[in-house]
Amino acid sequence: MRALQGLRGPRAPSLPLLLLCFLAALRRSLEHGLSTAAPFKSLPVQEEMMTKYSNLSLESHNISVTAAPFTSLPVQEEMMTKSSNLSLESHSISMTAAPFTSLPVQEEMMTKSSNLSLESHSISMTAMPIKENNKGNQICVDRGIMLQRNVTLEHSNMPVEKNITLERPSNVELICQFTPSGDLNSVNVTWKKGDKLLEDNYLVNATGGTLYTQHRVAVINSKQMGSYSCFFGEKKQQRGTFNLKVPEINGQNKPLITYLGDSVVLMCKCQDCLPLNWTWYGGNGSVQVPIGVPVNDKYVISGKHANETRLKITQLSEDDQGTYLCHAIFELGESEGHVKLVVLSYLVPLKVFCAIAAEVVLLVAAILLFEMYTQKKKKPSDDGKEFEQGEQLKLDDSNGIENSGPRHRKNESVGQ
Amino acid sequence: MPPPGGTPPPHPPPDGGWGWVVVGAAFISIGFSYAFPKAVTVFFKEIQLLFNTTYSEIAWISSTMLAVMYAGGPISSVLVNKYGSRPVVMVGGLLCCLGMVSASYSTNVVELYFTMGLICGLGLAFNLQPALTIIGKYFYKKRPVANGLAMAGSPVFLSTLAPFNQYLFNTYGWKGSFMILGGLLLNCCVAGSLMRPVEPKASTESKNKVGVRETDCSMKKRQKKLSVWEEINKYLDFSLFKHRGFLIYLSGNVIMFLGFFAPVIFLAPYAKDKGIDEYSAAFLLSVMAFVDMFARPTVGLIANSKLIRPRIQYFFSFAVMFTGICHLLCALAEDYTSLVVYAVFFGLGFGSVSSVLFETLMDLVGAQRFSSAVGLVTVVECCPVLLGPPLAGKLVDETGQYKYMYLACGAIVVLASVWLLIGNAANYRLLAREKKKSIHTKESQETEPLKTSQSPSVNIKSGKNEEWKGAEVNSSERETNI
Repeated sequence: MRALQGLRGPRAPSLPLLLLCFLAALRRSLEHGLSTAAPFKSLPVQEEMMTKYSNLSLESHNISVTAAPFTSLPVQEEMMTKSSNLSLESHSISMTAAPFTSLPVQEEMMTKSSNLSLESHSISMTAMPIKENNKGNQICVDRGIMLQRNVTLEHSNMPVEKNITLERPSNVELICQFTPSGDLNSVNVTWKKGDKLLEDNYLVNATGGTLYTQHRVAVINSKQMGSYSCFFGEKKQQRGTFNLKVPEINGQNKPLITYLGDSVVLMCKCQDCLPLNWTWYGGNGSVQVPIGVPVNDKYVISGKHANETRLKITQLSEDDQGTYLCHAIFELGESEGHVKLVVLSYLVPLKVFCAIAAEVVLLVAAILLFEMYTQKKKKPSDDGKEFEQGEQLKLDDSNGIENSGPRHRKNESVGQ
Repeated sequence: MPPPGGTPPPHPPPDGGWGWVVVGAAFISIGFSYAFPKAVTVFFKEIQLLFNTTYSEIAWISSTMLAVMYAGGPISSVLVNKYGSRPVVMVGGLLCCLGMVSASYSTNVVELYFTMGLICGLGLAFNLQPALTIIGKYFYKKRPVANGLAMAGSPVFLSTLAPFNQYLFNTYGWKGSFMILGGLLLNCCVAGSLMRPVEPKASTESKNKVGVRETDCSMKKRQKKLSVWEEINKYLDFSLFKHRGFLIYLSGNVIMFLGFFAPVIFLAPYAKDKGIDEYSAAFLLSVMAFVDMFARPTVGLIANSKLIRPRIQYFFSFAVMFTGICHLLCALAEDYTSLVVYAVFFGLGFGSVSSVLFETLMDLVGAQRFSSAVGLVTVVECCPVLLGPPLAGKLVDETGQYKYMYLACGAIVVLASVWLLIGNAANYRLLAREKKKSIHTKESQETEPLKTSQSPSVNIKSGKNEEWKGAEVNSSERETNI
């Protein structure tokens, strides 16, 4: 479900664009409007807005994940606009930590235009003074750097990370921004890809009290994907990580229940991506067998839009049970989703149905028997009452309503 | 066959005893009827995927079910008039079961329209009507309470069926769930078996025999005069369309239902539109259902009080106005708290309107003609109930905001309430005038034999059941003053 909210950022889409997106969102929400459910979950997710234009290639993407108070790191990804013609991508993340965490990180922005699609991403880490926390870790307020004597940033459970999804080959620019309170020059800046230290291709810049470092990666194929980290300082290293990934595929979380001899449609979808190819694998256990390779009637692969794939299986049997994988192939790698299929026999619900039907028959029989029994009891006394009423009716000439006594008297007086 | 309208019932309503069991049975029947079409929407997503259709095509199943349930009213009324409530409800339960079980074997959407929509909808119609009718036969003094309790079945069943359906879906898939739901609907037969007919047949026969002996000559004359029109009226009382109170009720309700259901359906999307997450939005509906659940019997109790009961039509109009004002104020709601407040008040309004909805109809036409009346009312209400939500949806699409839809719905409902208020005020006044006239004419005709089928209880003799007889005058006089 999408809710509409105003965009924050350097570029705001126009009103017709908003309306278009809203209509699309509304139609979907209308469809689900009738269901009522109130499950209890601890992590509400807000996905705020996404508008997309294919011509102007303007994409604004807004995600805010607000965690319940007991998690330690809420992450806010604010904006990402992408334009394929202008090859403009601005991507910004601001991570604001919960009050008791020590390191709020703000990733701000970048825009750049070129002919090739260029993406720039930045993480900025600013240290902030923190109050004494329960663990007894003391912070030196005057220095303005987060110092937790017992816990270093690497050991803390709050990695400063950002996930970037890439579909097409592009030039990616990663920017880290760090504001130390000490001497700028004493801070050592390094970049790493995974564990491998990167020697070249990055710049370091110092402006005001802030240190900027920038690393450019030309992502052509899957070899350039992975996680890139920038490190500041020697002993107490501040680290920011960019995870370059292909888009994720959503299968179905809950297992699909089907019956023998039935048909079923398995669907895999990704939010806004255009894979080059989709393939399905079925497997019992560890063996992954591609489906649909010898084309037969049993499996039909189709897909209405490019971002989804459907596998229709007919004539289900017990062997068809298991987990199915849908593989999406991108230029920059592969991604997969899972769908679990369970095949039951018809007897399972039939038994429940028969149980309920038996209960109903029993109850109806019991109720009707009880009624006949009570009526039999009443009958002898009823006959007497009827006789009396009959006599009164003859006298009254009226439709008998409860108290015929006073009326009886009245009639007598009238008759007389 | 019950005697034609205008005569008091041959057997006074027990107002208790087995009547409360019948209220429980009506609770089940009404609960299934109203809640089932809304609760099955849980399955639609997977069915849509399997049958490769759009969501709106699937959503039509629910609408068809509701439409047939309302349109089947007259058929149900005819059958109830002829055979009584019990057999009709049991047949209804069997039909529902048949519909759902055959739906589980369907292979395309059209088959679903036929099995779920038509057959199951008809079965639900056979449940709703008789349940309402039999309350009128069992209760008079405590009828508003009985109505309120029975109508409370709808929110209770909705709040239990919705998560239960989700559980069934996760455990058995949609096919198995449909089969099991078919079994569950068989429980309507149990409800039906509890609906004992009020008058034991033996006593009516003896009374009829006596009546025949006395009014032999006049009866023979009357039998010759029965025309085709009157034959039809025996089964379904079309003469109700000349009944002033009935017409006011019908017109007011038609206007009201245009704007009544759309706010419920769009509450969750409206909340999501304001930026509220999915689960909190669903929670709003739960709040509404919860308040509704308790509002209905409570309002039934209030409507039963000595102060309100004689003026129950005004009470109904005010309840409708309250709901309308709620919708108007909802347009001002900005954040989650105000939406929760709206949901609470809306639940209250919705519950109070639903609680006295059929009670007011019974009050206007009397228990005798109620079965025909409710059939005719539901078939006419079918249109606004079905047209309302799509029209509201279109309004939202055009304006781009939910606010205007809520304002429009609120305005329509307030308009309906004003019309009902004015209409019923006029009706009450005219009835009072006619009552005075008839008292004067009756006093002058005191010496004539009391054979006539006119209301005999104008001269109130016994002080015991004053309410029953006094109101009997009102209701029968409303019936007679067509």
